[in-house]
Amino acid sequence: MMASLPTLAEPRHFAIWESALFAALIVASVWAFWRPFGTILRKILASKSDADFHLFPIGRRIRDFVWEVMLQAKVIRERPLPGLAHAFVFWAFCAFALVTLNHCATAFGAAFLDPAEPVSRIYYYIAAVFAAACAIGIFGLFVRRFFARPKWLGELSWGSGLVALLIFLLMVTYLAAFFVQPDSLAARALWWAHTLTLLAFLPVIPHTKHLHLVLSPFTIFLSRGGFSRIPPLSGDEDFGLVAGKDLTRLASLQAYSCVECGRCTEHCPANNTGKLLNPKQIVLGLRGYLNEYSPASEEPLLGKYNAQEAAFQCTTCGACEFQCPVGIEHLPIIIGLRRGAVNTGAWEDDYGAKLFLALERGSNALGMSATERDKFVEKNTLPIFDGTQEYCLWLGCMGAYDPRGREIVLALVRVMRHLGASFGVLRKEKCTGDPVRRLGNDLVFQQLAEANLESMAQNKVKKIVSICPHCVRTIQEDWKEFGAPPAVEHHSEFLARFASQLQPVQDQKRIVFHDPCYLGRYRGVYDQPRQVAALAGDLVEAPRSRERSFCCGAGGGLSFLGEEKGDRVSHVRAAELAATGANVVAAACPFCNTMFQDAFAARGEGAPELMDIAQLVARGLPE
Amino acid sequence: MKIVVAIKQVPDRDAPVRIAPGGKWIDETDLQWAMNEPDAYALEEALQLKEKNGGEVVALSAGPERTGQTIREALAKGADRAIQVVCDDLGTRDALGVAKLLAAAIKPENPDLVLTGLQSEDIGLGQTGVIAAELLGLPHATLILHVEKTDAGVTVKRELEEGWFQSIEMPLPAVLTMQSGGTKLRYATLMGIKRAKTKELKSVTAAELGADAAPVVVLEQIALPKKQKSTQILPGSPKEAAAALIEKLKTEARVL
Ligand code: SF4
Ligand code: SF4
Repeated sequence: MMASLPTLAEPRHFAIWESALFAALIVASVWAFWRPFGTILRKILASKSDADFHLFPIGRRIRDFVWEVMLQAKVIRERPLPGLAHAFVFWAFCAFALVTLNHCATAFGAAFLDPAEPVSRIYYYIAAVFAAACAIGIFGLFVRRFFARPKWLGELSWGSGLVALLIFLLMVTYLAAFFVQPDSLAARALWWAHTLTLLAFLPVIPHTKHLHLVLSPFTIFLSRGGFSRIPPLSGDEDFGLVAGKDLTRLASLQAYSCVECGRCTEHCPANNTGKLLNPKQIVLGLRGYLNEYSPASEEPLLGKYNAQEAAFQCTTCGACEFQCPVGIEHLPIIIGLRRGAVNTGAWEDDYGAKLFLALERGSNALGMSATERDKFVEKNTLPIFDGTQEYCLWLGCMGAYDPRGREIVLALVRVMRHLGASFGVLRKEKCTGDPVRRLGNDLVFQQLAEANLESMAQNKVKKIVSICPHCVRTIQEDWKEFGAPPAVEHHSEFLARFASQLQPVQDQKRIVFHDPCYLGRYRGVYDQPRQVAALAGDLVEAPRSRERSFCCGAGGGLSFLGEEKGDRVSHVRAAELAATGANVVAAACPFCNTMFQDAFAARGEGAPELMDIAQLVARGLPE
Repeated sequence: MKIVVAIKQVPDRDAPVRIAPGGKWIDETDLQWAMNEPDAYALEEALQLKEKNGGEVVALSAGPERTGQTIREALAKGADRAIQVVCDDLGTRDALGVAKLLAAAIKPENPDLVLTGLQSEDIGLGQTGVIAAELLGLPHATLILHVEKTDAGVTVKRELEEGWFQSIEMPLPAVLTMQSGGTKLRYATLMGIKRAKTKELKSVTAAELGADAAPVVVLEQIALPKKQKSTQILPGSPKEAAAALIEKLKTEARVL
């Protein structure tokens, strides 16, 4: 039956001059590709090596590669329709590898696929299916980019149009060859049309964002992994990203891999509320810098291409890094730029200086006297941790000094007492260093992390539970730079484990849970707080929830930096939460809690009630 | 302009203060230490003067070994070099004894300006700076918020009471004792700390300076302030009670 189906028509014989011409064109095309691409590659390779880079364990890299590159899962999940269209273009490229190789080999009489032979024929048909899907896909993407024009894609560019056209032509010239006679003039014309398109495509790549075709598989495979992993400083002259000389190979590779899709900016709370910060521009700024200067340059990175103001508007919510389909890690870059500015004293900000001075000398980010914590512990007869209890209840700055934070701690204490969990609080605590870590103050962060690690060891702490996702993250991941931290969990994880022993509260509340960035994207904890909140009423979801949750505006040290420009992030999110019609907003982070408290206070009447999940379940306990 | 900043290391504000046995000084075990805040402002003012007018900032501190930490902090914030007067008896020296140490260390430096905090956060005598000025034979001014270099010397902004300020022209060299809050302090940076390691830190002993310690004022005893709360109900008609309240506010609380 197959014999009756049309098959791919190709010219069989090539005149010497034709083969020679083709060979010359290949050389020209590869040369035109390599000239700019070689420059880029040299810039990447000339960048400083990543001191903390380890190829192993390689399993995670292979997994990411298969999932994100081969299966295009991230591209599809975050933007299903265009994602699928993109996936088909990608898969068609893969399917075409052999076809194209054979296509070129034909010109030199070295073809290894034979249209008359069944296996090759089947392969051609499979490639044809992908070609058709790809042609439709690229057409769809073209319409989206040039007519639907979502604002995140940015300005129209000739490059994108040209590439779409070339890809479309490649597919059409392949498909059309099924409908002409083998060895006919038409077959020869199609062969040349296909070939010329291909040879024209290659040199376009390094000049456009289609560079990601070549680079992004490497970017994804080589990425640091984890989330917002901040590399340790290496040596006495490393202060973070100060100038070109500080850019590492990973940073440079990532800068050149950006495909300008704008997913990062689309989800960025700072950009969405009228701030200068645009995560895509941060990445493209590095690229611009590298194009103009060399990776050995002393020219400051914060200057012509990236603004200091923008770098310090980031809440470190991680939405950008989470979204990026090509494995760009924005947070090490943004925090790297902040480190460069803070560690050298270039950042001048009254609020920032006040926070740093408070933490250089004192114990907490709120600048309060440590005796205030002592009084709180004493007044509420919180047991002191002495090494015999199972849990060390970590108060954190908010839990120890902030009135609302204290209420959350006390609610959790009630639940822990009810459950008969043994716990104690440390006699003294210092800030975990979260705000200084995110603002790039390595000096103070190191002091705090080391002092805390020492106190953990002295007090023989094995397991920490904390109401603050920022503390949890900083203890678990960031302290690692200076020692081995004890196990730590967030109270939502603790409470979820004991959910069966907690009484449901039956007062018909509709509850919307706000995913804190540092619990969700940073830690991957989404279900536990919902499970806990569900004990206290019916859950509804906000339009942006779980991985796509929209920041409260407090992270990255920003809650200490005074008034923001543009709209307040917290107000935007509070309005979104209120619009769900829920009468309770459940929070799981003391920073979210204060931000929303202020936002709801500004809304006045009719604002939903705001409670931490610990407070929600504590209501159900017998007095 | 060469500026010497005299700095004292004091117990950190959050540190638990206990009285040492004998009741003459505090128990120094387990204490954290920090730079005396008015001295931190003196250092900041010196650094700003240097940034504007050029010159050199020399940090000077007297105290035991641990004082080195505060001196390195001063170097990290931008002082060019430092002198540490190593002495273990700082707590038993009176203001004159300390001023003698400082003056002896300052003299060979021949600075244009000496800045120090107007008082220390520990014992708060507020005399060391002015006595040192006297020993050095230099003019001085106290409670200074801001210093501006002029052709003839300096113009200083001095704090008076009730929100009044005084502006004074002074010749150089001079000694100024600085009030907190006149400017904004800078934060310490990693780069500063790293650079500080390569800066000169000269160490001299009290004996080498030939500054005797015999105190003229002896500290007899120190005590923690007593905390007390008391409630009084003022009897009588509202009118009488109000009159009694005003009387008490005037004579006892002295807030009126
Ligand atoms: S971390 Fe959040 S605030 Fe910062 S650039 Fe990314 S999306 Fe924007
Ligand atoms: S950084 Fe990533 S998410 Fe942002 S535009 Fe570039 S490729 Fe897209």
